[in-house]
Amino acid sequence: MTTPARTQSIDDSVPRDRNELSVGEDLDFQRRWWRFEHAVWIVFTVIVALDVAGVFGRGPVAKVHKSTPDGAMNLTYEQFQRFQTPSIISIHFGPNAVRDGKLQLWVSQSVITKAGNQRIIPEPASSELKDQGLLYTWPSGQHPDSADFAVEPASPGIYYFSVRLPALGDEFTERVVVWP
Amino acid sequence: MAAVFRAVFGYLFLVFVVRVVGRRPGKQMAPFDYVLIFFLGGLTLTGMVANDRSLTNAFVQIITVALCHFVLTALRRRSNRFAVWMDGTPLVLLRNGQWVEETIRKMNFSRDDILAAMRSNGQRNLHEVHYAVLERSGMITIIPGGEEKGSQ
Amino acid sequence: MYTVIHAIVGYFFLLLTVRVLVRRPGAQLTPFEFVIIFLIGGVIILATVGNDHSETNCTVAIITIGLTHRLVSIMRSRYPRLSAWIDGIPLILLRDGQWQLEQMEGLRVDRDDVIAAAREKGLTSVREVEYAVVERNGSISIVPRR
Repeated sequence: MTTPARTQSIDDSVPRDRNELSVGEDLDFQRRWWRFEHAVWIVFTVIVALDVAGVFGRGPVAKVHKSTPDGAMNLTYEQFQRFQTPSIISIHFGPNAVRDGKLQLWVSQSVITKAGNQRIIPEPASSELKDQGLLYTWPSGQHPDSADFAVEPASPGIYYFSVRLPALGDEFTERVVVWP
Repeated sequence: MAAVFRAVFGYLFLVFVVRVVGRRPGKQMAPFDYVLIFFLGGLTLTGMVANDRSLTNAFVQIITVALCHFVLTALRRRSNRFAVWMDGTPLVLLRNGQWVEETIRKMNFSRDDILAAMRSNGQRNLHEVHYAVLERSGMITIIPGGEEKGSQ
Repeated sequence: MYTVIHAIVGYFFLLLTVRVLVRRPGAQLTPFEFVIIFLIGGVIILATVGNDHSETNCTVAIITIGLTHRLVSIMRSRYPRLSAWIDGIPLILLRDGQWQLEQMEGLRVDRDDVIAAAREKGLTSVREVEYAVVERNGSISIVPRR
């Protein structure tokens, strides 16, 4: 024996339009929805504008320049980066950066672990672990004008990194926001 | 796991954008609609997958999306309110010879769309149309009949 | 910023391609046209996103496409002339027993398409058709004789 199907009378379930068309229109809802949609479009436009400005990375607002007063070190980086997307942390050296014929640069560990450094251009001759970071050395004859760190942030969030010229003690500590 | 979050966000956002972008007039999906949805879908999956091309990631995200879809459709079925949020309601565009201007304008339709639906229904002009209703699918249904229903 | 530009350009390029490629009669896409659309769509996606596969980038691209589509939608309904360019216009193929040859040849519709549409409406012969119109979306509307 099959159980009988459940039923519901049509009279109660669908509202009628004034001229007897069964349509189930809900204009109140629709009007509220139109206002909601309008708000959404405004938010969307703002988001796109922020993106073009660079708040989400890759734009004018994202680029940051820092220099030491004596010009020994100029730092350029993006303060807004994106997950697994290439970015460059760039350090320009002034003449005072060289000491004892060597050009040395120290970077914090986070440049490797958080920023996800892939390579340094140009490659330093040597690197050693020091002070929870890495010390890179370019010997005489190989002093570059600048060193670029090609990074790809490993995860979304906020990280801090530091760069220091051991020769003069100048140091920058910067914050980067990584969007997912 | 981040993969799950990306998948959930990707799916929900896609559903949201498609809902907000609105319905196109017409019975079937026009070729351009296919293309647009494909474009949006492809962008969604690129953001979801990011650079993780592993099989594991693929399985996890596929299953997550399937679950999300299941939950959404179940909610839509169970709750009338939710169904209305997701799909909207039918809307009257023309009633007894009166264009419902507010609806036509806000849905970004033109009168031509209603005339096309009328023709495709076999009516030759608006005097033969009693109602034109925009269905949730975007299709415009025509209820034929004179302007005055009295004579029925 | 490049994503936004690429997304907008990609959208219009797709619009143009679909408009040019797809033949009018019948909104049904042939398998071949589906494949082309997939290919073109896929390439545009890659070009839009570039090497940046972050959620942020893709979300912004999606939002840009949504906004552009909305804008085009609004323009299309406000300006019939623009709509004529983007969507095409309805054209009469058959009127009072006369095939409109110029329209049919121009759109590359043949009589069989119209006859098939008439059959779908339950008419046995083309003589029972008063008007046959090809709509903007490619489908053929039949108005039977009274």
